[in-house]
Amino acid sequence: VMEGRCAVETWAEFGFSGTPCAPWLQVAFGTDVLLFAGTDEVFVFSSHERKLTVTSIVSSYECVFSYVTIHLCRAGSPPADAHRGPAELKLTSEFLAFAEEGVLSLLLVGSVLLTLSQRRSSWTLTLYGSSDYEVLRSVSLASGVVHNETGTRRRPPLTCVRSSAATPPPSASSSVSDGCLCLEPILFKRLFGIDAALAKSPVVLCGLPDGRLCFLPLRPPGSRLAVLHSLEQPVVFVGASGVTDNGRGHARCLVAVGEQGKVVLIQAEKGGAEGGADRTGFTEGCVPGPVACGCVDEKRLYYSTGSDLLVLDLPEESPERDGPSVEKSRVTHAALQSPSSLNVCRVLALAPPTRSTAGEVELLGLSARGQLQRITLPVDRGDAGWPNAPSTPGGRGVRDLLSAIGDVCERAAALKAAVKSKNQILRRLNQVLNICFLLTADTNTGERDKPIGCRATASWSRLLEEDSLTLTCVLDNSSPYVLERGWTLSVAASPLSGPPAAGGQSPSAHFSFPFHGLHPGETLEVSLPLAAAGQSSLPVTASCSLSFSLAGLLGEEAAALPGLQPGCVSLPLNTLTVDWLHALRVTSPAHGKTPPQSGNTSDAIQAFLRSRRMGCDVGLSLSVVHGRDPSGHPVKLTAKEVKDRTLNPRRFEEETTPTAVEVQVESSSVAAVCGLHHAVLTRIQVPEVTESGALSFSMVSREAR
Amino acid sequence: MFTSGLLWLPYTKRGKVQTKIARRFSQNSDSRCNKMHQPLSLFHKWIQENNELVNKWKEQEGGDTLTRDQNQNHTCLVWHSSEFHKLCRKIQGIAPIADHTQLELTVVYNAGVCLIAQSQFLEAESLLTKATERILQMTGDGPFASDPPVFWKTALKSVGNTALNRCVMHLLCLQWAIWLATCKLQTIQELQNELLSVFETLSSGVWDEEGSAPRTKSSDIALPVMDQRRLIELLQICTFIAQGAERLSEGRSSEALSGLQSASSLPAPRTLISYTHLLSGSCLAHMSRPQMALQCYRMALETDSQCVCALYQSMLIYRQLGNTQAEIQALRLLHSTLMLPAAKEPSPAGVHLLPSSLLLQSQSLSSLLSVPSALSVLHSLALKCVLHERVAEGVEYYLDLLAALHSEDQHGVHAAGPPLPKLPELYLQAGAALLMARRPADCMALCDEVITTTLELLPGKVVLKEPEECEAETRALCEEVEDGVGMLLWVGAAYLLQGHCHTHLRDWKQAVTTYTRCFNLLVKVRFKKRGCQPQIPSADMMSMQGTDLCILQRLKGLSLAGRGISFTQTDQLREALRDLQLSIQAFPGAGLWCGEVLWRLGRKQEAVACWERTWSFTPHFSELSLAVYLQEPQSGPLLDSTELRRRIEELSPI
Repeated sequence: VMEGRCAVETWAEFGFSGTPCAPWLQVAFGTDVLLFAGTDEVFVFSSHERKLTVTSIVSSYECVFSYVTIHLCRAGSPPADAHRGPAELKLTSEFLAFAEEGVLSLLLVGSVLLTLSQRRSSWTLTLYGSSDYEVLRSVSLASGVVHNETGTRRRPPLTCVRSSAATPPPSASSSVSDGCLCLEPILFKRLFGIDAALAKSPVVLCGLPDGRLCFLPLRPPGSRLAVLHSLEQPVVFVGASGVTDNGRGHARCLVAVGEQGKVVLIQAEKGGAEGGADRTGFTEGCVPGPVACGCVDEKRLYYSTGSDLLVLDLPEESPERDGPSVEKSRVTHAALQSPSSLNVCRVLALAPPTRSTAGEVELLGLSARGQLQRITLPVDRGDAGWPNAPSTPGGRGVRDLLSAIGDVCERAAALKAAVKSKNQILRRLNQVLNICFLLTADTNTGERDKPIGCRATASWSRLLEEDSLTLTCVLDNSSPYVLERGWTLSVAASPLSGPPAAGGQSPSAHFSFPFHGLHPGETLEVSLPLAAAGQSSLPVTASCSLSFSLAGLLGEEAAALPGLQPGCVSLPLNTLTVDWLHALRVTSPAHGKTPPQSGNTSDAIQAFLRSRRMGCDVGLSLSVVHGRDPSGHPVKLTAKEVKDRTLNPRRFEEETTPTAVEVQVESSSVAAVCGLHHAVLTRIQVPEVTESGALSFSMVSREAR
Repeated sequence: MFTSGLLWLPYTKRGKVQTKIARRFSQNSDSRCNKMHQPLSLFHKWIQENNELVNKWKEQEGGDTLTRDQNQNHTCLVWHSSEFHKLCRKIQGIAPIADHTQLELTVVYNAGVCLIAQSQFLEAESLLTKATERILQMTGDGPFASDPPVFWKTALKSVGNTALNRCVMHLLCLQWAIWLATCKLQTIQELQNELLSVFETLSSGVWDEEGSAPRTKSSDIALPVMDQRRLIELLQICTFIAQGAERLSEGRSSEALSGLQSASSLPAPRTLISYTHLLSGSCLAHMSRPQMALQCYRMALETDSQCVCALYQSMLIYRQLGNTQAEIQALRLLHSTLMLPAAKEPSPAGVHLLPSSLLLQSQSLSSLLSVPSALSVLHSLALKCVLHERVAEGVEYYLDLLAALHSEDQHGVHAAGPPLPKLPELYLQAGAALLMARRPADCMALCDEVITTTLELLPGKVVLKEPEECEAETRALCEEVEDGVGMLLWVGAAYLLQGHCHTHLRDWKQAVTTYTRCFNLLVKVRFKKRGCQPQIPSADMMSMQGTDLCILQRLKGLSLAGRGISFTQTDQLREALRDLQLSIQAFPGAGLWCGEVLWRLGRKQEAVACWERTWSFTPHFSELSLAVYLQEPQSGPLLDSTELRRRIEELSPI
């Protein structure tokens, strides 16, 4: 709902540390902020001049409420010269109008001063005449069980409510006039009775720490203190919301908030169509607590948990009640949305929000560190200018229509996007399935013809002063399908005959390379380290496979879901072998000590092998390759064409050019000789069948010195 | 009155003397202590501690008690109570010694008084019993019965005539106070003889202690926090009053009367003396001697002008006697007395620790002493005036009442007594009174308020249930929950009154509209008989007066009659006849007009029959018992009965 962040501006610092009492903030006379932090001092901050004007020192907590009111009452309105007066005003006992034990809260309604005190297991509301402070009346209510878990001494909310029919329409379109909340007449009558409405009485609402919300109409005389509702947790805040913008400026909803986050909305419910009884609706909901303080404006509840300031959008209309109460509870839970955070922490007290001329909501907060802060909320795009600009019904109609159109557009766009993304997913799934069929169907026909396959070359590279053998795999997509995002090339490299590991498995290394799309005809080249010099156990098989994760298909949101076990399709490609011959570092015969050059090795070996196979007519009778094995031992490969009848007498007789190739491997390392022997053998074996050539090996091993 | 006043004066003097003595004692002990530099014995230290506490309390008490806050007094009391307890525990920490017993029992007495003053009766009782047992162990008696009367009897017997006798008696006085405060009059009755002897012993030896003071060293005497003689006198009269109230409520009026009359000559504060007169009056009223009762009430008032209850009871007697003018006079006096700021009579020193209100807590007494609130009295006064041809006066009272209800002044309001009628009811009554006083515009304004406030709360459908047997209970319940029927009847009555106003102003068209509105509203009500479907109540369904159904039918009848009369004035005779004929059953008074319309239509014989029938009709109930706004309007067009009779005679000359 909210866009952007809150602007927090610190107006003043009061430097108090934690007190056992919850602080209390009140805006008096429009511009002055009254601040009571639970100490002996009461601060008066002039928001107009942005400075602390009066600091009142009082003697004890019990008397604070009385003292302050006395001071302000005596002063009447803010005295014009108070700003020029002393910065500190000492209130002595001569200001004391009355002393009362255990006063928790205080309220001035017209000419009546009310105190709420707790005495001997009962709550007592005492009414004083504010002119002579004579006790007019005292009403008590037996105290219930106080659920105080936080242990802070909280000021029970004490507010005054009037019916808007009983007050002249206030000039400003605010629901607050002379400190009283203004309720719509029907709700007022329902809640507080016809007598209070006829007597045009202000009603004192009182949220007790035992969770009860009580009310006392001041008129007619003799009214009793009655319980309106029970929150079953200490009441932290009572306010009125849902101001209609039809000029009368009355609230249609009473809001009460409990310490553990219970929110009760009290509204007049419209009856059903055919004469169903209208009644008062108590909508209960819960927000994450604990609630330290709160305030409401026309349609939102702001509250602080101490660690964050949150805003809750209150439902504008009371749910229409047609059916039985079961249905009502259903509506109830839908009615309260979840609050959204404003990212302002450590707010302990809030003053009612105001709207700036620009339409921004401004809150006045007191932080735990004793800072008086003005918190400016970002403008909500939905209600810029609302409700300070009451427009004509026609204008409103157009505005409503426009916003409705906007809503429909938004919804349509969202639906379109959803359909589009689903189509996308289906198309991708189709591609995946095609590739799956392609690769699994080809298993029978032989590996080489696979349209998607891997090639690999081994090469030596020097990394960090150390030579290492790198396998470069090239994935070749010659299929007509695109390998899209979500595919991964996996290569498992395992030594063909290594020393068995502890677990009985041959040690193998797995590499996976996720890639983002491989179109037909494109190749993907990946490199993976096989071994450092001297540590290899050749030959190594590299099994390549393509795998696809279904989670990738669903996108990041689904992938982030806990408990999702994504299915995975894994398709084997081909298996490559890296043997000693691949890993041979060829040095030129002339310069025996040339450092290995990548690329040259395979070329030289390829040439070497090819020459032995078909180069017999060239007349080259001898080819020699010098190199080093992975461990650095010098190796010499010699291929020699020999015409030796003894080699294959039978063939010699039949064919005119019987040829035999003698390959001599010379190295000081036995391992190198054996490895190369094996490598050469594997290469010869296949052509031998087809080309009917003959090979003879002589292995010469020379001990390295 | 004069006797009690005379008795009163030395009373306060004695209190002052006592305080002075106490001060002198403490000063003496201080000076002696300083002079001799001799460490006090434990015994003296305790006495000093006790006396300091007592003096501190008396100083606090003697200071301006009236301006002092109740709370502060209470805190002070709690502190003293705990201090006396601490001292008591110190003394009881060692085995009982004969020399210490007097001191010990005085401290126990002081602690006990503080506990009783805080209404901690159980704690006080156990304190007293334990202390007495402890002392009596020294005399070797025991074990003691757990039954309190037997216990105290044996206790008194075992101390005999020793010096301890007096101390134990003081404790018994406290026990007596506890019994009185907890309304255990039966126990007091059982111990009647013992208590009487205690009373005689203690109240006769008035100057004994002072006489003995020079003999014993002054510092050896532990002071009591409350004068014991004062206490016993208070107990004596309070017992008479409580017993009288109890007997009166049990119907033993003559028995109660004798006790109360003997009590009226006891030395006691005026308030209590006036109570005895008041209760005597009530006894006489019960014994059907209203004039003598009035005499007693007058005496009560003369003794204590604050005794509003006597005024109230006199008013009830006048009402019973049917003396309306006197009743109105009494109501007026009662109201003005209730509106007076309660003059705080200075209570004699030493008594306000245990005020008589603490000792007189019985239900029967408080119900006898209860007085309705000033507003409720004002309402009765206004209604009485309006109903008894003092309309102008009544209207003024009604306006005063409404002003009081709108003011934030909570003066003269207390929750006890019958609650005022609901505000709409009062508005309608005031409206009717205003109309009677020919102020239709004001009446309309009041009715408008009722209508605008109530109309939107009206339910769409109203079902009136047949009144149950337990009529009163359901009515009370209905008043708690603002029921739809009640609200609908208010709005209906408001429309009816407005119709009357228009009739008064001869605005027939408006009158017809308003009466129609009223009628249309009333037909929404369905009547539900047990076991039947809700139906529109027919006009002939008469029922007990005062019920909602009766009011409903009356409203219907009056609104139809009003509309019929309005139609008559605009010469819409057909409509007029229809309405009037319909209305006759619920409101027989419409018969005259019905006849008039018939006459004008030329159906003269029918008209005569109709008139004759109306004159011969005797109503089921008196009009006076109906709400004032349901009575026949006095201000509309009237038919002169003599004129009608003349017409009849002309028609059929014999």
